[in-house]
Amino acid sequence: MSGALNIVSHLAGIAAGDRAALKHLYDATSAKLFGIILRILAERSEAEDVLQEVYITVWRKAAEFDATRASPITWMATIARNRAIDRLRARGSRPTTTLDLAAEVVEPSPAADDLIDSANDARRVTAALDRLDPRHAAIIRSAYYEGMTYQALAEREGMPIGTLKSWVRRGLIRMRGELA
Amino acid sequence: MSDDVLADMVPDGDAVAMDFALGALDGPALRAAELRLRRDSDFAIDVARWQADLAPLVNAVAPVAPPLAVWSCIESELFRGPIATPPPSVIARGVDSTVKLWRGLAFGASAVAAVALALLVSRPATPIAAPPPLLAASMASTNAAKAVMITATYDPARGAVILTPAAKDASGGLTPELWVIVGTDKPVSLGVIDLHDPQAHRVPEVLRSRLTNGATLAISLEPDGGSPTGQPTGPVVAAGKLTVI
Repeated sequence: MSGALNIVSHLAGIAAGDRAALKHLYDATSAKLFGIILRILAERSEAEDVLQEVYITVWRKAAEFDATRASPITWMATIARNRAIDRLRARGSRPTTTLDLAAEVVEPSPAADDLIDSANDARRVTAALDRLDPRHAAIIRSAYYEGMTYQALAEREGMPIGTLKSWVRRGLIRMRGELA
Repeated sequence: MSDDVLADMVPDGDAVAMDFALGALDGPALRAAELRLRRDSDFAIDVARWQADLAPLVNAVAPVAPPLAVWSCIESELFRGPIATPPPSVIARGVDSTVKLWRGLAFGASAVAAVALALLVSRPATPIAAPPPLLAASMASTNAAKAVMITATYDPARGAVILTPAAKDASGGLTPELWVIVGTDKPVSLGVIDLHDPQAHRVPEVLRSRLTNGATLAISLEPDGGSPTGQPTGPVVAAGKLTVI
């Protein structure tokens, strides 16, 4: 059974109310999702709250997951990212702390192999991003991975927000062109 | 083709959809985009496409093992009985966005709610030994016309909602998704549905307890495959309250 299928079967178990399936899914995917959330929120206690929310959502939404339409990891990762950004925006004016992620202790997920199935898509998009102007790509990465707004990015880069927006938009259109 | 020409080719709607999917908006621009997402199905489609294109990027993030306590919290939240007051730190934002999301719905459903209330007041108590009663909701469209769009009847014995469309499919290429809202809880998805033909839509066992007298059913239009977030992301097109029949 491939990794993605394994996760799909956990989701099917969860949809049928199987608690053990939720634990298996959590063991296989929580490190991945926590990485995504922590990268956006930086603050551990908040990231832990959001991770909890994400699995509660997955427990309630598992019946709706359609394996023919989306990779299970991408589906869960999108939920995690959206929740983390919601939380980030809810902070309001509280300053965002920066975190050197390289300094974090990274333990490989026990089921890291399960995630390989979605890696091909990731490679294609990353490659498309790598072909952009490096400055444009860096800004798109900050927006996507750190949840930074145009406003925050323009301040950090010391450039007009209009120019920054146009870099990002052009970059994304080029990226989509590469994927087509 | 030069970058300038490319940038000029982006229609305004698409540019905002791109900004929104990337997550780069804040303040009034973010609120305007959230509002538009509910009202403008073309915009919702654009956002869904950009989200799908960008989604694989998250796979490149390095995993970080969460502390063991997180799993214990999830377990107690889900499996140790209902918690009357969820921890405010976790839920506060959720309630706020739910209120915003469903504000439009509340207006659309008010006429139906008034009728449902009138029925409830005059109804004698159901005897305990009776078989579980059917519950029905006339789901009115949330636009100005407030026409009945679909009738939903929940049969507890079958664990299914029988959906009977009254108006022609107005989903405009998006996927209709059925939601149940109990009291002030967040909407919970009952799955994607079809608005073309009458159908029996099976409700997952864990969600059946939510289909009670007074609960609201609603339909939102979502990207292919249903809401990616677990909450309605597209426009709410119909809503109504379940009432014992």
